[in-house]
Amino acid sequence: MSTTGKFVTATAEKCHDPYLRCALYGAAQAALGISGCCVLSYAPQGCNMLVSSAFGWQDADYTETLTLCTKLCENEIVHGGEELLTRTILEAQEFNVPIVFVLSSCGPEIVGDDIVAVCEDVRSQVNFDVVPIQCAGFRGSQYDGSDIALDVLLKKLIVDRGQKIAKSVCLIAPYANANPTWMGDLEWVKGVLSRMGVEVTATITHQTALSDFARVSASEASLVLSHDCGHKAAGYLASEFGVEQLCQDIPLPVGFTNTRRWLRELGERFGVGEVADKLANEGEKMVVEVCRRKGLEQFFMHRAPVAIVADATVGIPLVHFISEDLEMVPQLICLRSSQEVARRVLEKELKELNLAPRVIYGADVYQSKVALADLKPEIVFGSNIEKHAVEELDIPFVFLLVSPTTRFRIINREYFGYTGMLNIIEFIQNDWRDKYRSRQREYKARW
Amino acid sequence: MLCCVTVDGTAGLALVNRLSVGILLDLAGREATGMDEDYIAFRGNLQQLLEKVEKGEMIPKLQASHAPPCKFWTAFMVVNGIRHMAPVIHGPVGCTYGVASAYKLTSCEYRGVPLEPTSCTALGETNIVYGGEGKLVEAVKEAEARYHPELIVILSCCCSGIIGDDVETIAEEAEKSVNAKVIAIHSEGFGGDFRSGFEDAFRVIMDLMEPPRQKRQKTINILGARVGPTYTEWREDLDEIIRLVNAIGVDINAVLCGGCTLEEIRRAREVELNASWCYDWGQKLGDLMQKRYGIAYSRTGQPYGLRATEEWIMGVARPLGLEKKAREVIQKETDGVKEEAESLRRNLNDKTALIEVAEFPGPIRALSIARMVEEFGARPVVINIHPYTIKERMPSIKFLLETGQNPEVVLTKGIFSLGTFRSSWQTEFQLEELVTEYNNAIFFGTPMRQPGIPQVNLTTRTGYPHYGYPGIVNLARLVESAVVNAGRPRSKLFRRVLYGDRQS
Repeated sequence: MSTTGKFVTATAEKCHDPYLRCALYGAAQAALGISGCCVLSYAPQGCNMLVSSAFGWQDADYTETLTLCTKLCENEIVHGGEELLTRTILEAQEFNVPIVFVLSSCGPEIVGDDIVAVCEDVRSQVNFDVVPIQCAGFRGSQYDGSDIALDVLLKKLIVDRGQKIAKSVCLIAPYANANPTWMGDLEWVKGVLSRMGVEVTATITHQTALSDFARVSASEASLVLSHDCGHKAAGYLASEFGVEQLCQDIPLPVGFTNTRRWLRELGERFGVGEVADKLANEGEKMVVEVCRRKGLEQFFMHRAPVAIVADATVGIPLVHFISEDLEMVPQLICLRSSQEVARRVLEKELKELNLAPRVIYGADVYQSKVALADLKPEIVFGSNIEKHAVEELDIPFVFLLVSPTTRFRIINREYFGYTGMLNIIEFIQNDWRDKYRSRQREYKARW
Repeated sequence: MLCCVTVDGTAGLALVNRLSVGILLDLAGREATGMDEDYIAFRGNLQQLLEKVEKGEMIPKLQASHAPPCKFWTAFMVVNGIRHMAPVIHGPVGCTYGVASAYKLTSCEYRGVPLEPTSCTALGETNIVYGGEGKLVEAVKEAEARYHPELIVILSCCCSGIIGDDVETIAEEAEKSVNAKVIAIHSEGFGGDFRSGFEDAFRVIMDLMEPPRQKRQKTINILGARVGPTYTEWREDLDEIIRLVNAIGVDINAVLCGGCTLEEIRRAREVELNASWCYDWGQKLGDLMQKRYGIAYSRTGQPYGLRATEEWIMGVARPLGLEKKAREVIQKETDGVKEEAESLRRNLNDKTALIEVAEFPGPIRALSIARMVEEFGARPVVINIHPYTIKERMPSIKFLLETGQNPEVVLTKGIFSLGTFRSSWQTEFQLEELVTEYNNAIFFGTPMRQPGIPQVNLTTRTGYPHYGYPGIVNLARLVESAVVNAGRPRSKLFRRVLYGDRQS
C-alpha cells in the first residue's frame, strides 16, 4: 500500500462510502442555474432533499426559483405515475414561470414511466416550456447527472445563429467545483475576460437567463470551469457550432504558474497577450506584497508532506500551487471523480513537477482514510469529512478548502487567480494558528 | 420539515421551508368551516379538526412544493443513533451521501460524535438490470472487514425495492459469514411517509432485544430518540429528562436510539418501564414492547410547565413505587423555580397566546406549549397545525385529546398555497391580520414571523431546555423578554430577506 507513484481507480469495491451525490443531484444543479425556472422532481419525496441541496449549491433565490416534487408513493410505482406527473405539471401553471424542467428519479425510470411522452402531451395545455431530463440516480454520480442535464439544455435551448460574436466565450459548469463559494471563481473569470475585452455570451449555468442560450452558438470559444464535468458539453458545442474549447489540457488557474499559463492561453487566443501578461504581472506583485506585509509564515510549509482529498476541480490545480509556490510535497492525491480528461491533466502535471504521489481516482471515504493512515502526511487539504476521519491518526493539520463546509461566507471567495491565492493562503495561515490556540487555562485570573 | 439542513447547505430553501409546510385542502372542507373571513380556512378546536381529517373533509396531504424526508431518510435517522453501526444502504450514492451529509456529518460537527461509515452498494444501471443481491452480500462482508462494526443494518432504497432484492434473506445469510449482527429494514422511499421510516426502524430494532436474563430494578429505557448519537433535536431536553429520572433514583439502560449501543438494545427488555422523551416518537415502540414483552410504558405528554413535568415524573415514579421520593424532588424543584413561575403567571395571565409551530421545534410541541400557557392563565390558540400533521400524528393527537387538551385551532389559507415562498409570505401577512382580532395577545413561535405583538422566541438555542424545571426558567426569561421588548421595531433586513419586498 505504501508504494508511491501508484495510481488506483476505486471501482472494485462493493461497499462504498461516497463523497458524491447521484445523477439527479447533478442534473438539478445544472437546471437550477437557470433564473426563474421551476424544477419538478418526478420522484419520491426523499429525492427532493437532493434537489434542495442543489438549490443551495447553486445559490438560487427562493423568491424567484421554484421546486416541486410529485412525491411518488407505492401506488405510482405499482400502477405508474404519469397521471400524477401530468397533474403536477398543470399545477405549476400557478407559478407563471417560463420553463419547467422535469427530472426523473430511479423509481419511475425503473418501472418505465415515459416522462418524455408526458411532457410532450402536456405541453399544449400549459403556457410554459416543459423539458424532461432523464437523470435517475443509478445513471451515475452527480457529475454524470450534470453532463446529462447540460446535454439536454444545450440541445433543447440553443438556437443556431450562424454568425459568431467576435471575441466571445461561453462558460460551462462553474458550479461543478467544490470551493463552497465557487461563485467567486466565476466572477474572477468574468473579470479577467472583461479586462481582455472578451464578451461572455452565457454561463451554463448560474443565474442564467433563458435568453442567454440564444447566444451560445454565436460564441467563438468555450471555457469549462470544472475538471469534473462539462467537457462533453464543450465537445458538443465544438462539433455542432464550431465553438472552440480553450484551456482544456491545463489546470484551472490556481497559483502563479497555473494562472499565468491560463491567462496567457486566453490572451494569445484573443490577441491580447500583453493584457494577459499585465494581469499576471500585477497579480503576482500584489500577492507578493500582501504576503510580505502580512508576515507570511513559511516554515511549517517547507517540504511538508501533504495529502489532497478533493474534487478534481480544486484538487488538480492545487498540486502546482502548493508544491511550487508553497514548497510542500504532495504524497497523496484522492480525487472524488475519475474523468479521463482530468487524469490526463493531472498526470501531465505530476510529470512536469517531478512528483510521484499516490493517486486514487474516484476515491471513497474509506479509501481516503486508509491511505491517510498509511502515509501519515503532516497536512491534509480536504473537507470536514477528512477533519473527522483523521482524528485518531495524529495528522496535525487539516485545511478545510472543499465542501462540505459551512457555506455561509457572506462574500464569495475565489480560489482562482491572485486574490484566490491569498484566500487559500489565508485559510492555511489561520487554520495553522488555530491548531495552537490554547484550549485550557493554566490558572485563573484574579479579576 | 425535520432536521434536514445539510452541512454543505440547503441554504435558502431550508430557511423558507421552516416557515411553510402547507397542505392541500378540499373545497368542501373550507365551506364546512363556515368561513367568514376570507383568509381563514378553519376555525374550531383540535377535536373538530381531527374529525374533519378523519371524515376526509380535509385532505391531509402536502402539496407538491412541500416535501418532508422519505421513509428511507427517517429509518436512517433512527439507526444512525446506534454506536458502531455500519449501514449498508442498498441503493445508489445519492441516497447515501444525502443522509451522510445531513445526519452523520452534523453529528460529527456539533455533537462530538466520531466519524463512522455511511456505506452503500452504489447501485448502477447494470445492477438494476441484473439484480444487486450478489453485490449486497459482498458489501456486507466488505463492511465487516473495513469497519469492524457491532451491527450492520441493510437499508433498502427505491431501486432495490422495485427490482425485488430480498434484503431480509440476504441479512440472514450474510450474518453467517460475519461477526456482526446483521438486520434489514425495508425503507424504500416510496414505501411510506416519514413517520413509517421511524416506526419500521424501531420495529426491526426490537428484534435485537434478547430475552431478559434478569429484571433490573428501577431501571428504564427512554424511547423515541433519533437522528444520531445525542442528536434528539436539542440535547438539553434529553439531559433534563435524564437528570429528573436520576434524581428520583432511577437508572437509564438506554436512550433508543440516541447514542445507544447494541448491548444496551440487547438488554432493553430487562428494564421495569419504558418512558419517552417525546410521546409522539416513543409511543409506537412503547406500545409494541408492552404488547410483545409486557413492559409497562409510561404514557405522558412532553414535560412543558409545572403540571406536565409533574405528570411526567410521576408517570415514571408511580409504577416503580417511588412516589414519595418523586414528590420530594418535585417539591424541591418547584420551590426552586417559584420566581420564574410567578413571572410566567404575571406575563401570561388573561392574555391570548397565539402559538405557531408549523415545523421546528415540532407541532406536538405547539400543543404542549398550549397546555403550559393555560396553566399560567393564558388562552391558547394554535395556529396552522395542518391536517397533514394531524394525519401523521394521529395516535399522539388522540392521546392529547384524551388527556383533556383541546385548544382552539386556526388555519389560514396560506398554508395551503403551492410554493414554499408563496406559502410563507401569505401566512405571514395572514398572521399579521389575525393578531388584530385579539386585544391582549402574545405570540409563541419563530422570530422569522413579525406579527407586531410580544413575541416569544421558541427557537433560540440559549432557550433550551424547554422541558422540566430549567425549561420553566428559560421560558420565563423568553416570555419576559417578549413583553419587555414588544415595542421595539423588527428588522427590515430580516423582513426583506424572508418575504421579499412585498408590503402586505
